[in-house]
Amino acid sequence: MNPDRLDITWLILIGLALATLLVPALVPRPLVANALLLTFAALKGRRIVLDFLDLRVAPALWRGLVSAWVVIVVLFAWLASAVVALI
Amino acid sequence: MSATDCEQQGTGWGILGDLPGDPMIWVLIFSELAAFGLFLGAFVIARALHPAVFAAGQATLDARLAGINTIVLVTSGWAAARATAAARAGERGHARGWLFGAMALGGIFIAVKLTEYAGEIASGNGLETSPFFTLYFLLTGFHLLHVGLGIVILAVVSRGARPAGVETGTAFWHMVDLLWIVMFPIIYLVHP
Repeated sequence: MNPDRLDITWLILIGLALATLLVPALVPRPLVANALLLTFAALKGRRIVLDFLDLRVAPALWRGLVSAWVVIVVLFAWLASAVVALI
Repeated sequence: MSATDCEQQGTGWGILGDLPGDPMIWVLIFSELAAFGLFLGAFVIARALHPAVFAAGQATLDARLAGINTIVLVTSGWAAARATAAARAGERGHARGWLFGAMALGGIFIAVKLTEYAGEIASGNGLETSPFFTLYFLLTGFHLLHVGLGIVILAVVSRGARPAGVETGTAFWHMVDLLWIVMFPIIYLVHP
């Protein structure tokens, strides 16, 4: 049986989850590590929104709203950590 | 125009009717995303104000167990998505099987999380230990309640395994998955 989009999304999510666990050990610079961790979270969120929640075929408004939630939360978390690091 | 006429022209939910599953579940999903978004925002602000307290608290957490739970939950989300595909194809037996798989993985998530809580409490960390642990227990506990509720919803929709019901139940489950995906790095891994 050939993998379909759902299988590929699942494999990507597993890969990103494993990569997330490796970041703290492999990336010593906090700001870069935080950026990577939160980018991976946004990428995982995007796949869940498009393929698992099935908003790929939904109106752009809904796809955009849920995707924007993911981006806003991770961006806010990164900016807050950056501000603390720079002060 | 009568209510019947409105129903005949659409679902009566306007553009919410274009979403998979019952539109009411999406009202709940958008409400939950707003609530968790604000809660996570509060966590991030509190960490910016007390970086040392949050760094000390984060250092005591078991990120590996939480990482295992991430893999468990995304696999559960995959099973739920497969259940939706099977239900849409009219394969109710398969849909039910995938839903049971998703529920079982949800049960494993709860078991792992409770094991994690037990370790933290045994180490002397509780709800009132520090602002970090107050927010940590509230955020992850609130999420854990949603995992439990999600399992109940999946169990309910698995009885008939009809497409609309399965889409509704799995939409809630994917939201629970999405919340964890965002919460996990922010709470466990991001450097204060």
